[in-house]
Amino acid sequence: MTTMEKKIMSFSVAASLVLCVPQTASAMHIMEGYLPPAFCIAWGAVCIPFLAAGVIAIRRLVQQHRKSILLLAMAGAFIFVISSLKIPSVTGSCSHMTGTGLGAILFGVSTTSVLGVIVLVFQALLLAHGGLTTLGANTFSMAIAGPLLAWGLYQAGKKLKLPKLLNVFLAAMLGDLLTYCVTSIQLAMAYPSAEGGFWASAVEFLAVFAPTQLPLAVIEGILTMLVMIGLETYAKTELHELRSVKRGLFR
Amino acid sequence: MIAGILAGLVFFSLFAGQLPLVWLAAVCLGVVLFFLLAGGHHHDGVLTMDVYARRSRLCRENAAFKTGVSLVLLVLCICCQSPVPPLCLFVFLSAVTVAAGGIRLRTYLSLLTLPGVFLLLSGLTLLWDYTSKLPEKAVLYLPFFGGWLAVLPAAQSLAMLVLSRALGAVSCLYFLSLSTPLPELLAVLRRVHVPAIMVELAVLIYRYIFILLATFRDMKDSAASRLGYRGLKRSLRTTGLVYGGLLANSFRRAGACFDAMESRCYTGQIAFLTEKKRVTAKVVGLLVLPVLGMLAGVWFGF
Repeated sequence: MTTMEKKIMSFSVAASLVLCVPQTASAMHIMEGYLPPAFCIAWGAVCIPFLAAGVIAIRRLVQQHRKSILLLAMAGAFIFVISSLKIPSVTGSCSHMTGTGLGAILFGVSTTSVLGVIVLVFQALLLAHGGLTTLGANTFSMAIAGPLLAWGLYQAGKKLKLPKLLNVFLAAMLGDLLTYCVTSIQLAMAYPSAEGGFWASAVEFLAVFAPTQLPLAVIEGILTMLVMIGLETYAKTELHELRSVKRGLFR
Repeated sequence: MIAGILAGLVFFSLFAGQLPLVWLAAVCLGVVLFFLLAGGHHHDGVLTMDVYARRSRLCRENAAFKTGVSLVLLVLCICCQSPVPPLCLFVFLSAVTVAAGGIRLRTYLSLLTLPGVFLLLSGLTLLWDYTSKLPEKAVLYLPFFGGWLAVLPAAQSLAMLVLSRALGAVSCLYFLSLSTPLPELLAVLRRVHVPAIMVELAVLIYRYIFILLATFRDMKDSAASRLGYRGLKRSLRTTGLVYGGLLANSFRRAGACFDAMESRCYTGQIAFLTEKKRVTAKVVGLLVLPVLGMLAGVWFGF
């Protein structure tokens, strides 16, 4: 390397380090107006079956136990509240949890997807995270793909008899990671790179968002684990009630 | 601070090779200053936008009309094939929100920086491409692990289009959310036959958010007064326990709420009273111009 090249290289490393510490690292919502119309419609269409299943399940549940609508509403409000609050993080930046992994573990996928849509609309209108045209894409990554993986991993871990807390940690962390990967892929599909095509663009989006999203996923896993510890210690009876509600949901 | 540097970098790559150097420097400096002055992500009031919506002078207008027009504008905005109409829409709707709605300009600008980081990071990705050999038309380039990171004119125009569409769309969203309180929007959803159970859930969630936030504030203050947030490890532990406590508390409250509703003859349906608001000439006059302008913009494609 010549001295000039070395200088450029060290400058680019320094620049990337500086850029790696953005101030706000909220969960990765695609912002309003970012996707072309065809993609908005397509991602919305993908979500419809999941939402329909969720609405049917919730409607049946509420007919059987009228009280469960209040439990579900509280759960939705809880997901919204923790996604709007600042959590401690390594770099001193502002980060927020997604809370959908926790939702999936506690309430199951179809319920979480319906709660997730409502929470995403609220986030768009009250916090300016995400948007109305990108609602479909955000719903798919945050309220369907992430919770689906988290729930699947949690069930598999239960079968494999993993220690419960490790299981919760892994499910929440990997669910969050999948959300971030799916969002990057959605962005790459909408805007493939001119030279390398879809994959080059996907790798670029993954790389640019990795510094904020990887630590966030680990912290989300740890926090979900701690919330579960808190619940087991202080809210045994409520957890039992929730389990009976969930059994009603799957019957 | 870092968002400011990032913004400078993005705008530098966006306009490099298209503007003379002096103008380029001026644009970048302006953007950096904007982010430094208007930046700031507040956590004191989580629901500040809700408060602004209720204070806005446009709050008195008919919610269904505002929602319908905003959605039409949103769709037209993302259908545009050139950056000019969305940018005009952005300027116009921002002016409407600030001047006719009575939102303070400083507040509006600081709200605009909220989606900023996403826009800048993904803008960077749209602008810089990784190629194995240097393209001839590249405006800017850096050597990178045996290949080149380069900015091409085509990528610049794409990024410009995406950036302007996103700005226009955000101004539509802000026009709606800074002038219409959420319960009125939910009433509109009920009227267009979104499943009743979803609207009911949404209304209940909206009400519970305030209860949970108040509870959370108390819990956080008492944890902080016991030094619960000293050091990363301890603050993680405290946060987890507070969230767990909050969830347990909310379930208990749901039980109490149900008992209260049951004793007031709850039969499975919650009815709400909504205030009737007419569509006034003022709001029609304000919104006809952008709709016609955007229609023309999409139709003629300029």
